[in-house]
Amino acid sequence: MTLTTTSSPPVSGGSGAWRSVRAELRRRTSLKVSVAVVAFFALMTVAAPLISALGGWGPEEFDKSAVDPYLGGLPIGPLGGVSAEHWLGVEPVTGRDLFARVVHGAQVSLLIAFAATAIVVVAGVAAGVAAGYFGGRTDTALSRLMDLTMSFPSLIFMIAMMSVARDVDRTLLMILVIGLFGWPGVARVVRGQTLSLKHREYVDAARVGGSGPWRILARDILPGVAGPVIAYTTLMIPGMIATEAALSYLGVGVRPPTPSWGQMIAESVAYYDTDPMYFLVPSVCLFLTVLAFTLLGDALRDILDPRGGRS
Amino acid sequence: MNKRTYTLATALVTTLALGMTGCSDGKKSDGSRDRKNPATSNNGAVVGGTPQRGGTLTVLSNQDFTHLDPARNWVMPDMDFGTRLLYRTLVTYAAQPGAKGTELVPDLAEDLGTPSDGAKTWTFRLKPGLKYEDGTPITSRDIKHNVERSFSPDLPGGPDYAARYLVGGKDYRGPAEGRHLDSVKTPDDRTIVFELHTAFAEFPFAATLPTFAPVPKPRDKGPQYDSRPFSSGPYKIETYARDKQLVLVRNTHWDPGSDSVRKAYPDRIVVTMGLKGNQIDDRLIASSGADASAVSWAQLRPESISKVLTKADVKARLLAESSSCTEMVQMHTGRAPFDDLKVRQAVQYALDREAIVTAAGGPAVVDASTAAMPGALFTGGTQPDTLKIPLSGDVEKAKQLLKEAGKADGFSTRLTVSMNDKRIGEAVQESLGRAGIKVTIETVDPSAFYDTIGDTKSRTDLVYTGWCPDYPSGSTFLPFVFDGRFIKAKGNSGNHSLFKDDATIERMDEIAAMSDGAQANKAWQELDGQILAKAPVAPGASKRRTLLIGTNVAGAFGHTSWSGQLDYATVGLKDPSKSAN
Amino acid sequence: MILYLGRRLLGVIGVLLAIAAVTFVIFYVLPSDPAAAACGKACSDERLEAIRAHMGLDAPLWRQFGDFVTGIFTGRTTGSGQYALRCDFPCLGYSYENSEGVWDLLVDRLPVSASLAVGAAVLWLLLGLTAGVTAALRKDTLTDRVLMVGAVAAASLPVYFTSVLLIYGLIRLTGLLPYPQYVPFTADPLSWASNLLLPWLALAVLYAAMYARQSRGSMIESMAEPYIRTARAKGLPRRTVVVKHGLRAGMTPVLTIFGMDLGGLLAGAVITESLFGLPGIGRLFYGALSTGDQPVILGVTLLAATFIVVANLAVDLLYAVVDPRVRY
Repeated sequence: MTLTTTSSPPVSGGSGAWRSVRAELRRRTSLKVSVAVVAFFALMTVAAPLISALGGWGPEEFDKSAVDPYLGGLPIGPLGGVSAEHWLGVEPVTGRDLFARVVHGAQVSLLIAFAATAIVVVAGVAAGVAAGYFGGRTDTALSRLMDLTMSFPSLIFMIAMMSVARDVDRTLLMILVIGLFGWPGVARVVRGQTLSLKHREYVDAARVGGSGPWRILARDILPGVAGPVIAYTTLMIPGMIATEAALSYLGVGVRPPTPSWGQMIAESVAYYDTDPMYFLVPSVCLFLTVLAFTLLGDALRDILDPRGGRS
Repeated sequence: MNKRTYTLATALVTTLALGMTGCSDGKKSDGSRDRKNPATSNNGAVVGGTPQRGGTLTVLSNQDFTHLDPARNWVMPDMDFGTRLLYRTLVTYAAQPGAKGTELVPDLAEDLGTPSDGAKTWTFRLKPGLKYEDGTPITSRDIKHNVERSFSPDLPGGPDYAARYLVGGKDYRGPAEGRHLDSVKTPDDRTIVFELHTAFAEFPFAATLPTFAPVPKPRDKGPQYDSRPFSSGPYKIETYARDKQLVLVRNTHWDPGSDSVRKAYPDRIVVTMGLKGNQIDDRLIASSGADASAVSWAQLRPESISKVLTKADVKARLLAESSSCTEMVQMHTGRAPFDDLKVRQAVQYALDREAIVTAAGGPAVVDASTAAMPGALFTGGTQPDTLKIPLSGDVEKAKQLLKEAGKADGFSTRLTVSMNDKRIGEAVQESLGRAGIKVTIETVDPSAFYDTIGDTKSRTDLVYTGWCPDYPSGSTFLPFVFDGRFIKAKGNSGNHSLFKDDATIERMDEIAAMSDGAQANKAWQELDGQILAKAPVAPGASKRRTLLIGTNVAGAFGHTSWSGQLDYATVGLKDPSKSAN
Repeated sequence: MILYLGRRLLGVIGVLLAIAAVTFVIFYVLPSDPAAAACGKACSDERLEAIRAHMGLDAPLWRQFGDFVTGIFTGRTTGSGQYALRCDFPCLGYSYENSEGVWDLLVDRLPVSASLAVGAAVLWLLLGLTAGVTAALRKDTLTDRVLMVGAVAAASLPVYFTSVLLIYGLIRLTGLLPYPQYVPFTADPLSWASNLLLPWLALAVLYAAMYARQSRGSMIESMAEPYIRTARAKGLPRRTVVVKHGLRAGMTPVLTIFGMDLGGLLAGAVITESLFGLPGIGRLFYGALSTGDQPVILGVTLLAATFIVVANLAVDLLYAVVDPRVRY
């Protein structure tokens, strides 16, 4: 499907590319902001227990005094129960601290998104390089498999697989299931890129020089596909976060009481008019993260893969 | 009635916990709490006055009916809808709010049935001149036909009282291949005789179930009868698009003179299905235009409760009749650590029922439970508190009990809840955690819930589930939930604590053999407390059925015998001209 | 061309068979028991076995799958005696829940999902392509910046958020639109549109943003192609160059994602249908999943897969029409 892979300039020189990333970073404000947002949420993910300890509440700790049971468990106080004790208010019904939950929710959501992305990248690069470099039957078989996987109604299958599985770690299952349907996208990009690199002079030179196929793959091909893959991957992460949210929204996500953004949004949608704060907090977090990754991905693509590997 | 049937009805779309529970007059006990319950002021009364004849009543629903085929209809709200509007049964419940709704009245039959042979044979005689929607007469053979249908494996899901009590029921497989059940006799067009293998004094209660409604053989299309049941009641089906819309119009062959229960006020009843629960709530709160003549099928969503209770005019249109189900934390008594009485008692003490009530929608629509049986089965309609544990639990006592059991450091265990009860599961988890019992929650899709917890080997130690009596008698509750002889390795139902106690079993047999109903009732009530002391379960909560009605709706009340569902026999409109066509 | 088409169609059938097999394995190997679910409470073992046999669930997995596949073409009979259900080609079986034919259910629900998908697609193509092409032609101007910032932001909005915002603004607050309740186009086109406008908008916002970004990129790329420069050099009017040459080539990648998106949506936008309570394929699937109604689940999966592979095929064929560089 990649129609325009003929004239990509060699992007093998990793150091040069990173230098231009740094230059670009200094130039674009949007990029600075998005890097900051991504860093912020990444930090939140890593240090979730520490950060939520600052607020003094655990993510699973009930606070009966913060909700009014006679009003269906609506938080007491303005803005969904925002107070010195609960910085972002509380969850209706349970009175759990929203700040603690959104911080821990970031951990779960981003963990799932990153891990699923990692699976997709590893599987996609392996399949793409193999198909592109070895060609022949390997290529045919792998390409068929890609076509088949892409023909699956993926959301429907993910819902189905999540809902029938029992007695398993749901976070792990979700990572695997999301990863399962994502790899052909990367594989196609990598395959196209590999095909175009395979007959470059420097690759031919290495081959003539007696390098084995593994050595060529590792030293010449992989660095060459790295740029487009990084850009593609960054742009994929928002989709992964959104998929986690969608699955959780449909009730097949992580196991309670573990918070995730998707699960928080799913539960808070119904409260949009009675407790808007509850709905806004996870929605805004999701929005900001997706936005930041999209901007970052755009910029990385412009730098690392100017001709665009996404077709 | 098992809660399974509710669950099947409650599609995933309804995240509101499975409804319909409570004690029929439980509102009185709420006075002792710190605030007066704001939701129950309409209980025991008819809301909106007497309706006028005519107009279109709209029912806003979030789901389709599970089954309208009378041989398969065993979901409380659906049974109310079916038997009040589409088909008549031998006997039915009076159309009265409050406790009077548990009184039986003859429907197709002339009386409540005549027992003979020590209540092993029951004879009913039909009223004269009863007709179907096409004017053909209703005969006793048609009732026999539907009873036979309920045995067919092609038509699963319905009440099994016929299968449980009729002679020869064990091996009968329905009428599809031309075989008939000899223990149901129809000596003439108006007489039907049931021969049972054991004495069953409460048979008239069973005869209110849709199994005992007529189905004319020529109209019987097997599984597809479900989409077009043939009417013997005041309305017939004009169109039925599954999961979208059901339109009922008057059955002109129904004779009001033969029917002391159904009033049939509206000309048309339109059920719109598959709407979002909170959008139904918003429409009925606003109650503008055609929505003024609408009633809700779905229960009020928890997040809408604050919008209703804070407005007096909306609150006045809320029905919150409690129904007869209780939910509890059931412990696997056959497996460590719950084979130890002290550990089970620790769970009873650690459980925070206030948190469960809040999780299920708050004290306005849920009552904390202090007994296993619902209040409706106790004298005075209120559950006694035999355990005397504070509603929010007694963590110190629980810790002490755990220490005595040699589990001073607590332990880890797992709890299965239906997806709809996720919040309740979290409340259980949090409250047991206070005593050092670390609970992992398994949420299971409602459709798979009873299969999952029915597998006694692979299931978790704890399950949160309940039971609803089929009619107001302890005999439809305690034996189902605590008789150890009915435990099955797979497909186990009711007794999810796997409680096997010889003294309890002996006592249940004694009570079942009592001929004096009042004495038996008292004995069931005492047994309830004795069982709780052995702690196979920790009482949880009892939910109410919360239904909003439009401003133009009259004659509305929640019927106690159908889990607080709106009684469709008497509901109608104040001003029919204001309704949509 | 015909050879190519034949080969592709054969591939389509293979893919569908593979998908059916995978679905079968997922739902039949895992521990859920539709017979027990249908049987109801206090089900005796004998009755359960009888029901299982009537549902055809007592046969081994491969037999069930074989029966299903051949049954699609030859039809199948379930049940016994007077209660037997006969379903003819194309036979996808009967719903366990309400004994309706799965094929009839799909045919009944498809117009809802199709109305939703096609209406939204028209909206998002209009909005997205206009914005994208405008931005591309005014690359690096203020218009371009504003449009693209807007697109990135809109694409990042969770669909729940947009939906809720729309419901609140257009229904609750102003009463401009009714609560969505599907009305068939044939019954009343006007109320069909007014009821669907909200879900259309909710879907279109997200997709329009993605399409604006995509079409801007490929438009810029195609306008830089040598043959466009030639066309310009020939002195053709800018309009002709943009529409006839630039747009045609630039739309090829957009067409690819459009085919995939529309194919996916036709088979039910699960979340949107669930948010707005529309009785489409997505809700059918979701309901079937919650009740364990396997024939319906299988039917929807196959339908969805069919839409995706057919959309892919259509896209590939359309390439030849749209992009002058592609020939088969």
